[in-house]
Amino acid sequence: MAKENATPTRLIFGQNSKLSRTMHDIRYDEVNDELWVGQPFAGAILVFRGGANGEEAPIRVIQGPKTQLEGPDRLEVDAVNNEIYVPEYGNAILVYSRTANGDVPPLRKIQGKMTQLKSVRSLSVDTIRNLLVAGTQARGPKGEQYGVLLTYDRKAQGDAAPLRVIEGDKTEIVRITQTAIYEPKGWILAAQAGTHEALHPDDGFLGVWHINDNGNVAPRWKLRGPSSTLIKPRGIALIPKHKEIVVSDMAQNAVMSYYFPEVF
Amino acid sequence: MMSRIRRRIPFGPWFILFFLSAGTVATLVSMRPQAESLRKSGVDALRAANGQAQLVASVPLAPENGEMCEWMPASMSPSAMILAQTRAAQTAEREAKSEVADRAPVRTIKDTYPTYSAIAVDLNTNEVYMQDENLFGYRVFNRMDNTPANAAMTEPKRIVQGLDTGMEFNCGLYVDPKTGDVYSVNNDTQDSMVIFPREAKGNVKPKRKLHTPHGTYGIAVDEEDIELYMTVEHQNSVVVYNKFAEGEDKPLREIKGVKTELADPHGIAIDKKNNLLFITNHGSRVTEDVIGSGRFSPPSITVYPLKSKGDVAPIRIIHGDKTQLNWPAALAVDEERGEIYVANDAGDSMLVFKTTDSGDAAPTRVVKGPRTQIKAPTGVFFDAKNKEVWLSNMGNHRATVFSITADGNAAPARVIRSAPADKMAMAIGNPGAVGYDTKREEILIPN
Repeated sequence: MAKENATPTRLIFGQNSKLSRTMHDIRYDEVNDELWVGQPFAGAILVFRGGANGEEAPIRVIQGPKTQLEGPDRLEVDAVNNEIYVPEYGNAILVYSRTANGDVPPLRKIQGKMTQLKSVRSLSVDTIRNLLVAGTQARGPKGEQYGVLLTYDRKAQGDAAPLRVIEGDKTEIVRITQTAIYEPKGWILAAQAGTHEALHPDDGFLGVWHINDNGNVAPRWKLRGPSSTLIKPRGIALIPKHKEIVVSDMAQNAVMSYYFPEVF
Repeated sequence: MMSRIRRRIPFGPWFILFFLSAGTVATLVSMRPQAESLRKSGVDALRAANGQAQLVASVPLAPENGEMCEWMPASMSPSAMILAQTRAAQTAEREAKSEVADRAPVRTIKDTYPTYSAIAVDLNTNEVYMQDENLFGYRVFNRMDNTPANAAMTEPKRIVQGLDTGMEFNCGLYVDPKTGDVYSVNNDTQDSMVIFPREAKGNVKPKRKLHTPHGTYGIAVDEEDIELYMTVEHQNSVVVYNKFAEGEDKPLREIKGVKTELADPHGIAIDKKNNLLFITNHGSRVTEDVIGSGRFSPPSITVYPLKSKGDVAPIRIIHGDKTQLNWPAALAVDEERGEIYVANDAGDSMLVFKTTDSGDAAPTRVVKGPRTQIKAPTGVFFDAKNKEVWLSNMGNHRATVFSITADGNAAPARVIRSAPADKMAMAIGNPGAVGYDTKREEILIPN
């Protein structure tokens, strides 16, 4: 229940943690009580014990030539199927065993023209429907920004076409930075940070689509507006127990929690 | 045999249970006497099985307002089923507009005080400039300001902050010793450096703006040769511009490549007396365009000839356990004493090395401990005129100034604080994502 000016309950930091001061994703695996962080500056994925605190070292590190990692910035953890999914190179998804450690190759890779992957940023898995959703922030040939939501079979590999593509003007997607899925109902929640160069973009919002949506589909809900205080939402996490969604906002350097029972 | 596949379930079973429960409660509240009677009779009835159907409770069902399920034969192949589902979804593409949910947050986690990433002193005006990476601006104080221990904070003389300034996650800071121009370097979110005149105040546009590579951090200026140096975290490099570069001007030269040993470079300082360049490195490195090349190296200070260019090896490296380097950030050179002052971020300390140190060298002095008030220092400024060293502390909203010979758990000569003394900084910096720990019920924020 942290509020304004609260002191963090714990900090993971420092040389021993192998973290840098530039992290863009964190995922919690509640089944195995582990924290996952991408470390793009070292081409590594770090795994910490769930209760890690202070200058604590990771319990596993995925890094090295065989991993094919370049700058893993974001990731998704699938505790049901014991896999992790990592967007890489802008146009690929690498899949590793959840227990991978050291210099290990990916189990499979989604990459190729058919995949439609371009500037892929965030991944979320739906273990009930066996689907993998990718959010992108692609740029067009003339510099125009447009993101899409791509849905794949979870086990897709190679040059696999997406099962569904949410794209078009009705979606209002400019660039997606983090996604989450509420699996019991099949809702995709996507943080949409808005036009990249703008300090205070007027097109940022938190959008909600259904996992079966396809084509030029408007979001079911858009969390935005003066009451929301949202300006540049970049992160999204869910708290089903309290029917809340948590959104990080880059322009405010803040994190807000919203009561959003419609989604749960 | 499956005759129908529910393509879309607007209200899942769990949600239905919720509504049913809420409806029952509402009925009981509005009809309390009858409800009590019904409850008693219901309980009595349940206690006495009579072998016949009994009405225990009656609740109206919620209307079925979802879309009709589309019939699909169970024998349909997976690919045909996907195609059919896709077509169905497209057919059902909503004409309705999105529902805009403009609701207030139930909680906001935000540090409302400035957090200081860098610091500089204008020795002509005796003013201290403190770079605020939390609220995106900088604040100016008198050099001799000293916040009393029982005061909430010291008010700044002026603040430069706001959308027009173009500052966001601003880290590096430099004040021109002649003109008083203020150079503010943006980091991960805006690829630019903005320059303001000394007298700037409020939400003002910069007098100049330079488009920079992505991920610039530290800044140093060679006033004699009119050259401006910046470290670039994301490409492990140092870029050198003409000091007055602006717009799309390109660097004069660059230090970059595998031999440089640059690894997430942060601080940068120039030693004109010995023509040297000092860089602090956090130690993370990926070789550009080489997949799988990521590696960790120890935190370090790499030393180069000042006019180095291209893929050059450092002439010396200070690194190793004895150095106590731990996320070393800004550094400054005292040419007269031949010393380097390092803001040692994760070590909550200021380390002092000799400019001639190499390898696993222990610091000459370490300023650290509760009396120092040093917490997550990322900025440092050496004041040659007044023989003082300033630190900006990201961890506790304050600047601390020490004598250049300070050592150990030394109290600062003065403190400029911008929040109550007991308020530690929230430590949020560019929250690009968020997570949730369901076990500990904690919100997780990467920075």
